[in-house]
Amino acid sequence: MDLFLQTLLNGLLQSGIYALVASGLALSVGVVGIVNFAHGEFLMIGAFLAWAASASLGIDPLLSLPVVALAVFGVGALTYRVSIRHVLLAPELNQMLLTFGLGILLQNLALMLLGGNTRTVSTPYQASSLQLGALTVGGPKAVAFAFALALLGTLYFVLYRTTLGRQMRAVAQNRRGAQLIGINVDRVYMLAFGVSCGLAAVAGVLVSVLLFASPTVGLVFALKAFAIIVMAGLGNLTGVLWASVLLGVSEALVQTYVPGGGGWSDAVFFLMIFGTLVLRSFRGNR
Amino acid sequence: MSAVSARPVPARRPTFAWRALLALGIFFVLALAFPFLPLGDRREFLLQIGFFTLVAGIMALSWDLLARSGQVSLAHAAFYGLGAYGYALLLKAGVPWGAAMPLAALTAGFVSLLLGGVTMRLSGMYFAIATLAFTEVVRTVIQNLPESVAGGANGLLVPALLGGNSRGQYLLALALLLLTVGVSLAVRLSKLHHAFAAIRQGEETARVLGVNVVRYKLAAFFLSSVLAALAGVLYAGKTFFISPLDTFSLANSISPLTTSIFGGLYTTLGPILGATVLRVAEELLHNTVKNGYLVVYGLVLMLSILWLPRGIVGLWRRGRQGGDL
Repeated sequence: MDLFLQTLLNGLLQSGIYALVASGLALSVGVVGIVNFAHGEFLMIGAFLAWAASASLGIDPLLSLPVVALAVFGVGALTYRVSIRHVLLAPELNQMLLTFGLGILLQNLALMLLGGNTRTVSTPYQASSLQLGALTVGGPKAVAFAFALALLGTLYFVLYRTTLGRQMRAVAQNRRGAQLIGINVDRVYMLAFGVSCGLAAVAGVLVSVLLFASPTVGLVFALKAFAIIVMAGLGNLTGVLWASVLLGVSEALVQTYVPGGGGWSDAVFFLMIFGTLVLRSFRGNR
Repeated sequence: MSAVSARPVPARRPTFAWRALLALGIFFVLALAFPFLPLGDRREFLLQIGFFTLVAGIMALSWDLLARSGQVSLAHAAFYGLGAYGYALLLKAGVPWGAAMPLAALTAGFVSLLLGGVTMRLSGMYFAIATLAFTEVVRTVIQNLPESVAGGANGLLVPALLGGNSRGQYLLALALLLLTVGVSLAVRLSKLHHAFAAIRQGEETARVLGVNVVRYKLAAFFLSSVLAALAGVLYAGKTFFISPLDTFSLANSISPLTTSIFGGLYTTLGPILGATVLRVAEELLHNTVKNGYLVVYGLVLMLSILWLPRGIVGLWRRGRQGGDL
């Protein structure tokens, strides 16, 4: 029983990061209407920036987090300005391939400049753990989960309680309608895309603490985020939360109960995408 | 009045791109002459570059075949890998190579019908994500099968194709590229071309017009994956060694896509020209950019989408209607 509870807890903690990455992606899909295949690369940039701050300046990743988030927000806004903006009205294929190219470019640029090695960030709380009755929780994991929760709370507050958030949701619902009532759609797009990238970067900082920074670290998370937003329904922000928990917990269950589960748990999210897509296409609502 | 309307309307002469056909002819003559040139000390190296350029051409053109029916796939690495693994496993089971090659390709073709059937009703990014997921699932399965079956993560050794004769291997690759071009031209000149174009431009409309969408989409999948699997067989026989991470690498799905878009989508000449340019550029840049050569593919893909959406083939037929091949 304890093993089962421990598994559920691990899965739940893991889902915090998934939810961060996926809500960023959901924002760019829902508001801007762009499926950003380079989302994972913004996570990777965040992870490397946190590693650089920690390795060269000795700043704890959790302290450099706001600066990193702001920097990547800027990079995202700039990306929107120079590339995404020009394909907003182009066929979906072109949008997809553009971000795909951007992702390949960023990932391999990192590979070229920094090499394929994984870089770990060492923190004083790395080996700490919390005891909850019979259950144990790794310190960094708990901290990361708390951060993710706090950020998601802020995001949902902004989206549902502020003018900017209302504008974003208005644009998501109907671009032309939003324009008619005087919303500067281009500005909202830029901000939404920037925030989306910033969220990925925050997740990247947490990943650098929990795992490591490497050029390819973003890809796995981006693919899992795709699985989550596909499950939640494209652009559905609240669906992202339960879908993340579902993914995290199923992965943990596979890891614990399937023999040789470490290798197979990476296939879980692919099966989920596949299952959802196929089920949905046969029920007829896309 | 009645006389005017009774006069038969002159049938529009079908536009046919003789120039594209000529360019293809020149390409094949040059490619055929290449291994017989006095290449000097670097002969082996140059033949290897030539060989992989031809393989890249097969991959790109077969990807384009599938794309013509509106299915922009990220599963090409899967069929490439299935070809490579199918070939290696058949050889291991004692099947002679001449039979293992088509058998491996047909196996990949039948697997593609399964994938095509499942993804039939997905479009755009859903299709892309599902095919990407499919590739990863195939890779994970092969990696996690017992090592005695498919070598696991360590990979498999494959006997050299044609006993390691470089010229022979090159000519075999050229023959398979010729086969691919033949299939592509046959599709272009048959009613498949119109069916694919109709499905690509609007599936519902195509269905209303009486196009059997299911059959044509599956046909595109089958043709495309059989050819991609043949490219995988060539790869396995040339490198002697295949592993799940290399064969099913995302790069093997990205390169054909980028190559086709850069060369010119929905044409026969475009993907081949694209493969030649990008592959040679890759070799030239290999010493400068080392392990990050995909940077070039990423950049080329972005720039093509932003500034050259019709590819290099589109450059010289700018403003000309029809006549694409």
